[in-house]
Amino acid sequence: MKRSILAATALLALGACAKRGGEAASTAEPGAETGTAAEEKKAEDAIVHPPLDPYPSTYRPYASGTTLITGATLFTGTGERIENGAVLIADGKIAAVGGAGAITVPEGTATIDAAGKFVTPGVIDIHSHLGVYPSPSMSSTSDGNEATSPNTAQVWAEHSVWPQDPGFTRALAGGVTTLQVLPGSANLFGGRSAVLKNVPARTVQAMKFPGAPYGMKMACGENPKRVYESSGPSTRMANMAQYRAAWIDAAEYKKKWDDYWEAAEKFARENGDKKDGDEEKKAPEAPKRDLKLETLAGVLNGDVIVNMHCYRADEMAQIIDMSKEFGYKVATFHHGVEAYKVADLLAENGTCAAVWADWWGFKLEAYDSVRENAALIHAQPGGCAIIHSDSEVGIQRLNQETAKAMADGNKIGLGITEEVAVSWFTSNPAKAMGILDRTGTLEAGKMADVVLWSANPFSVYAQAEKVYIDGALMYDRDDPARSPRTDFEIGQQGNDFTGGAGQ
Amino acid sequence: MIGNFKLGLLALAGAFAAAPASAQVIAVQNARVYTMGAAGVIENGDVIVRNGVISAVGVDLPAPEGASVIDAAGRVVTPGLFAPTSQLGLVEIGADDESNDASPKGDFALSAALDAVDAYNPNSTVIAIARAGGVTRALAAPSPGGKLFGGKAAVVDLSGRIGSVTKPQAAQTVVMGYGGASREGDTRMGAWAVLREYLDAAISYAANPRDYVMRPQDSRFSISDLKALGPVVAGQQPLIVRVNGASDIRNLLRLKNDYRLNVIIHGGAEAWRAGREIAAANVPVIIDATANLPYQFEDLGSTLANAARLQAAGVRIAIDAPDTHNLRLLPQMAGNAVANGLPYEAALAAITINPATMYGVQDRLGSLEVGKAADLVIWDGDPLEVTTRPVQVLIDGRAMSLENRQTRLRDRYKDLSRGDLPHAYRGGQ
Repeated sequence: MKRSILAATALLALGACAKRGGEAASTAEPGAETGTAAEEKKAEDAIVHPPLDPYPSTYRPYASGTTLITGATLFTGTGERIENGAVLIADGKIAAVGGAGAITVPEGTATIDAAGKFVTPGVIDIHSHLGVYPSPSMSSTSDGNEATSPNTAQVWAEHSVWPQDPGFTRALAGGVTTLQVLPGSANLFGGRSAVLKNVPARTVQAMKFPGAPYGMKMACGENPKRVYESSGPSTRMANMAQYRAAWIDAAEYKKKWDDYWEAAEKFARENGDKKDGDEEKKAPEAPKRDLKLETLAGVLNGDVIVNMHCYRADEMAQIIDMSKEFGYKVATFHHGVEAYKVADLLAENGTCAAVWADWWGFKLEAYDSVRENAALIHAQPGGCAIIHSDSEVGIQRLNQETAKAMADGNKIGLGITEEVAVSWFTSNPAKAMGILDRTGTLEAGKMADVVLWSANPFSVYAQAEKVYIDGALMYDRDDPARSPRTDFEIGQQGNDFTGGAGQ
Repeated sequence: MIGNFKLGLLALAGAFAAAPASAQVIAVQNARVYTMGAAGVIENGDVIVRNGVISAVGVDLPAPEGASVIDAAGRVVTPGLFAPTSQLGLVEIGADDESNDASPKGDFALSAALDAVDAYNPNSTVIAIARAGGVTRALAAPSPGGKLFGGKAAVVDLSGRIGSVTKPQAAQTVVMGYGGASREGDTRMGAWAVLREYLDAAISYAANPRDYVMRPQDSRFSISDLKALGPVVAGQQPLIVRVNGASDIRNLLRLKNDYRLNVIIHGGAEAWRAGREIAAANVPVIIDATANLPYQFEDLGSTLANAARLQAAGVRIAIDAPDTHNLRLLPQMAGNAVANGLPYEAALAAITINPATMYGVQDRLGSLEVGKAADLVIWDGDPLEVTTRPVQVLIDGRAMSLENRQTRLRDRYKDLSRGDLPHAYRGGQ
């Protein structure tokens, strides 16, 4: 009990969304209580709140200098393009963004002449399996799919992430500063995601994006019904039936806790001024925690974000109806190969679609791919297109994948500019992951997650030259000392092997 | 220019549909032409096509009487792209048994005897989709199932016509490295021993087929497989060997020497570590230009610099597409090799003339030179750039339609308004 409140306090300090725990913690002002207030507080302390953040982020940004990148073309992620622009990074934050020369710089600022180069917000991948399906790929490291039951909402991807996956370093060299690691798609409910800063660390906790909401992975269609063919679900209708049954259980679980908190708070109010010798009244008993239902109830509370793997248009429509039936929101359809067929429906419901530029044909539900998918999703009023990787290779080139998707949209006259398309791998995934207030654009006050590109990132020849995370230079293409190498790779193959981010 | 027909690019495909290729003369004018032959790059270049074959390449070539003229000013012309490996025509849907013929299941009795030509489906939608990306020829290759060998691969054109097999039995495929080991005793020793057994048996069979079949069999191999390996052990047919690790590659070079084989390395993640040896053995390498992760211990040395280093060592390289459904990404793969140090024209060669040379069809394909088949792509920009697309594709001098199932679906759904009738009535005709 005590521990859970401490955890909630820690979470609140990090600025996370801590609705229930936060209420309890906010009344805890050590040393401030006297008399009745203190008694009441004590009684409130006795109210059980499951920990919202039991494996808290220990990420601390590395040293950020004060750096001015000047003379570059900026794609801010807010739809703006600034020619001959400048970004000032200070204390891990973006201090200023504007035209070169328009920014006053403090003394001691390091200046990077970036004439002819390009700057974007750090690349964000909303769909990665780095760390849970790492390289080397062997049964020992295959930790991405708990394919033992169609509902494993209780598992958390962070408990599988291997921080030594060399894939993180390659993604860094591709400009990736933030990624959402998801469990696989074998299950209807795959479990919680881990939102990570792409900073190498000894523990996953030291990579966790401070205060990022949890996501939950769900999957439509072929995968769950194939994996559970013998025990069920073996049909799409059973997929739906099992989701719905789970939401009914989750709603009941949520009510149990809501009822408990209501009763416990009433009890605290009524028994706060209890004197010694008064008759002992029995406090309401907290329900037993259920990790599976806790995650699902978190979705119903709006604390946990739904990431729904769904290829087919007709299934997306079903899932949207189901979300309304149970009162939650689908933030993003992932792998929405047919999203273009229902792009209007997605936009009306404020649901993003995370797609590949051109992957298709590996299974029937990926057959109706069109190269203009992202562009057509984007073209709807309020449409939200995201380019995702789902791949340790694709994550290294989300800029190129976006360039292809934009170009195909433009070849049918959709008129998508580069400064707008850049949001498909920066601000749109940040929005869908609930972290747009902290990263995803070049705006003063945000985390200085910044990529300096050697050329226009919409070109195949562009390379991420420098990658800043919270203002710290974590990758420099020209400086081997700024290129991380994982434990797995060092000392291999003698001295002609370099390994590391730029491999 | 009198007597020429000036045709819009879009009109061209339709116009050609009516007339046989043999009767046609086409003049592509004013393009930047990457010939991939001795003439190199020609600015403001022209290509004349007659009867499906290139009849002239140069500057200021007069368009022949009656020629269809394509003004390609501001465009880039390259040879049609040549996918060095694929399962084209063998697979429609990867995860569907019925439409996927790329490899036999489990312990199926035959391997080397399997022939891509028997399963090749010129109507596969994958073909038209790749063609719209500028791919005009490919190696259609079976993949190994439970045994080491995959079977006989064929060079095909992407016209989608009946009879689009350019060269049957152009190569044999085999998987070694851990892929081979996992099929033969779960040890690389097993894979190499079994491969030698196969080759020895094929040599015995080829030396005296009648004698071989009459002998009490000490070989566990099927006669059909051994027969299929005849051209391989004779050094005539290339053997495409899927192999990544440097030590396996060196083993392969020894095997090539011992058996006088014509081998092609496929994968070659660590080939750069044996670059000079590979060059000295005159062995080409088909690489994945974006491989840079240690998926297994045998590809620990995987690096984006592989293409550039092999090229510098003098190895003939071809660049692979990421998968059969995306052969259209050959230019992106080649572009990434350029971004990592491969000279531009070497990258173009790696997806045109080099694969043609590997399969012995360089006399007809792979470059824009007089006498070669008119496989040609007109691009709306730098062909290796991710924002560039073909505007015109010719195969054997025929203008190909760039429409395909994906463009049809796009056209059907780009307007989501309810309309007078459902979407099922739109864009299907």
